[in-house]
Amino acid sequence: MDVAKYRSLFLEEAGEHLAEMSRALLALEKDPSAAEPLELLFRMAHSIKGMAGSLEYDPITEVAHRLEDRIGRCRSTGGIGEPEELPLWFRALEELERLIGAVRASGAPPSADPALVRALAVAPAPAREPKKKAPTLR
Amino acid sequence: MTMTNTMTMTTAIRVLVADDARFMREMIREIIEPEGFQVIGEATDGVEAVEAFQNLKPDLVTMDIVMPRCSGLDSVRKILATDPQARVVMVSALGQESLVSEALEAGACDFIVKPFKPDRVLVTLRKAVTGRS
Repeated sequence: MDVAKYRSLFLEEAGEHLAEMSRALLALEKDPSAAEPLELLFRMAHSIKGMAGSLEYDPITEVAHRLEDRIGRCRSTGGIGEPEELPLWFRALEELERLIGAVRASGAPPSADPALVRALAVAPAPAREPKKKAPTLR
Repeated sequence: MTMTNTMTMTTAIRVLVADDARFMREMIREIIEPEGFQVIGEATDGVEAVEAFQNLKPDLVTMDIVMPRCSGLDSVRKILATDPQARVVMVSALGQESLVSEALEAGACDFIVKPFKPDRVLVTLRKAVTGRS
């Protein structure tokens, strides 16, 4: 395998994915029930995981995999549950940017932030039904 | 050398590669083209994959399971609805076992897992076309 060729392809595609993920997170911040940005985030995390795995960039693979899992669980349970969820995804995106930036600068990623990896591993809370208005006594 | 052997050696297996990542399409091409396969088309999403299948009639499709516009799973269903003999190998990754099971139930021949092991990719694709490894 021509590692230099695939590293270059990875940096190009992952860079585009990070920009799209950032836009999708901002869209979810405005509307946490929006399905399209959730789908896009899931696909982008999946794609980064696959490419990083092929190049043995294990810290990037791990963060992308855990983020993908977490987004996937939110997809299957009907959306984002707790308000803490999105800030965690923003942190994961920042971490991916840091790790991929290191590949661009030095050719290899450093270790992933262990606290973030642990936080991503905890199962997200399921989406809650919107609160119903209490009946008004007349 | 028999006529059959000669034909086997000179007739490449025509493959459509469907994956939204150029990285993965390149990697599949690099693994299979020196080994008797010819990539005759590429698709970057599920809708393109179904259209390209109908236009190109490949011997085999490699189909990423997560793609935009139409998922790999839905694309397999659409392809098999128009051609029940179509040979489709799913491309999956760690943690997608349930999607792979659904795709196999829908009629996909087999699956390969990212990151690719070239030998495993070649064995799986050959088996998908010939019925043997």
